Amino acid sequence: MLTKVLSAAHFGLTPTPIEVEVNVFKKGFPGFSIIGLPNKSVEEAKERVKTALINSGIDFPNLKIIVNLAPADIPKEGSLYDLPIAVGILASMEIVKLPEEKAYFYGELSLDGTLRHTRGAFLLALSARQEKIKSIFVPATCANEATVIEGVRVYPVKSVTELISHLNGVAEIEKAKYSPSTSSGQPRDDGGVEFDFSEIIGQESAKRAMTIAAAGGHNIFMMGSPGAGKTMLARATAGILPPLNEEEALEVTKIYSLTGNIPPGGGLIKARPFRTAHHTTSRIGLIGGGSEPHPGEISLAHNGVLFLDEFPEFPRSTLEALRQPMEDGEVAITRIAGSVKFPANFMLIAAANPCPCGFLGDPKKECKCSPRTIMKYQARLSGPLMDRVDLHINVPAVDVDKLISADTQPATLNSKTIRNIVVKARKIQQKRFRGLKIYMNSSMKNKHIKKFCNIEKDAYLLLKQAVNTYSLSARTYFRLIKISQTIADLGAAESGERGQTITSAHVAEALQYRIRTND
Amino acid sequence: MTKIFNRKIGKEGEEIAADSLKEKGYKILENNYRTKFGEIDLIALKGNTLVFVEVKLKQTEDFGTPEEMVGAAKLSQVQRMAEFYLMDNPGIAKKYNSYRIDAVCIIQGRRITHYENITF
Repeated sequence: MLTKVLSAAHFGLTPTPIEVEVNVFKKGFPGFSIIGLPNKSVEEAKERVKTALINSGIDFPNLKIIVNLAPADIPKEGSLYDLPIAVGILASMEIVKLPEEKAYFYGELSLDGTLRHTRGAFLLALSARQEKIKSIFVPATCANEATVIEGVRVYPVKSVTELISHLNGVAEIEKAKYSPSTSSGQPRDDGGVEFDFSEIIGQESAKRAMTIAAAGGHNIFMMGSPGAGKTMLARATAGILPPLNEEEALEVTKIYSLTGNIPPGGGLIKARPFRTAHHTTSRIGLIGGGSEPHPGEISLAHNGVLFLDEFPEFPRSTLEALRQPMEDGEVAITRIAGSVKFPANFMLIAAANPCPCGFLGDPKKECKCSPRTIMKYQARLSGPLMDRVDLHINVPAVDVDKLISADTQPATLNSKTIRNIVVKARKIQQKRFRGLKIYMNSSMKNKHIKKFCNIEKDAYLLLKQAVNTYSLSARTYFRLIKISQTIADLGAAESGERGQTITSAHVAEALQYRIRTND
Repeated sequence: MTKIFNRKIGKEGEEIAADSLKEKGYKILENNYRTKFGEIDLIALKGNTLVFVEVKLKQTEDFGTPEEMVGAAKLSQVQRMAEFYLMDNPGIAKKYNSYRIDAVCIIQGRRITHYENITF
């Protein structure tokens, strides 16, 4: 008998409904084949489904079985078809009755007949809402992430036996309810941040720059000798990032669900992502790609932070590939199989040494590099790339006296106070851009700058003068305004005032981060 | 000389297998069904199922077990032959709905092992 079971495949972030057609022939040689462009992981579903059903106490039919995954021209990958195939076989054998209204079945089977955690359940729920499908059957461990989407009945399935009794109306599976779980902060929990800003001694100007960067989502580039505290500063920044708002959280959860980064039982991701990539990361690992396009680190850092330590050590081609996503906030990956867009609106924190030995410009230690090697080293970072970085700061080594005396003196600023101000500044921005799908100053396009940024006359003159003197690019000009706006917002957040007009003081501070010494 | 010898050994194996299947309640329909494309050692009937049997006999295990000699290529040949047989005998094909392929592996004087439904 022929039965049709619905499921969904993910191509990029857009799920496509897939019809799993199962036919168990009454006549013919016993066999089991899957068609409809399955890849190896789908092909292997045969063995998993067969063994799982036998281990669930079902007499596996000694007949010819054909499974078709329609539409047949989309390549299928992943283990998510195990459950729909199993249900299709059971329904064909008239062991279970399929529910009358349309339902999605989804999940990987274990050989013992239980269901395993399967990535992408959140996207499945999204697809169900789009396609107006009322109920979905997912592995119990994925149920919580699927329940984030309202208006879809989510049935958490533990095992095949449980599902059989449910479908036959013997023992009903209870619908899952969303519980904002503690484990959903996959990128990090606020308690899990390595460093507090109060632990970092000195570096007050760098801390200020970090605060501005975090408040407005601006890219920041730190240069300094080894051991000055660049990495510590970057890692401490994870602790001052504001929590995700609801729309941002949905966007992040989509990507994390697709890549299988949501742990069993996890739900909506609320903590802002903080991703670190080592400089040996491949271009595809960073940008995304593959013959079946997968998101890279820049997409995993969407709405969050991407920290690239030892920035010049990254291969040139990898760094240059960052240029377009940094500007557009998304990356388009085109392969033979089709074109996919992944969001990649991240804040870049980059750290570098000024030269190969690391001590160029250090007041105490002499730099041993020849001018040629210094030039070669600095040329690894191209002008267009650095032009896209808003804040450029130097992180000088801290005096020994200060380090020792710091043991007795309490630190002035801790991450919690900074975070409070950043959160307030971010709220001001979200209020400003309400309804525009923009959440921070750095995502403003030029038209938004014209519309929202209120620049005082003095400030405007200063800007004009700076552009002329330093012959700044048009992009830099607009970026300067964005930084100034963030500084103004921070000021408003600290004082509690309402006005966020850009004054010459704001522009002056912004300029100081923007002008590079070797320009 | 060897060809004649092989034929003799094969026939012996088929006889042993047929005897053991009969004991288990199988009805033997064909013994050594041959066409110009290939052959099936035994065709038997058990209940409502047509069973195509590949028999493999080895005198010693010194050069490998009989199980090793029944590979994917051999099985697909048996299945092709079985389909040919069903086409050739439409009466039988209509009468029985379920088919399967079995193997009987024999090591002379030591063991007879019957494997049911080996293609699945």
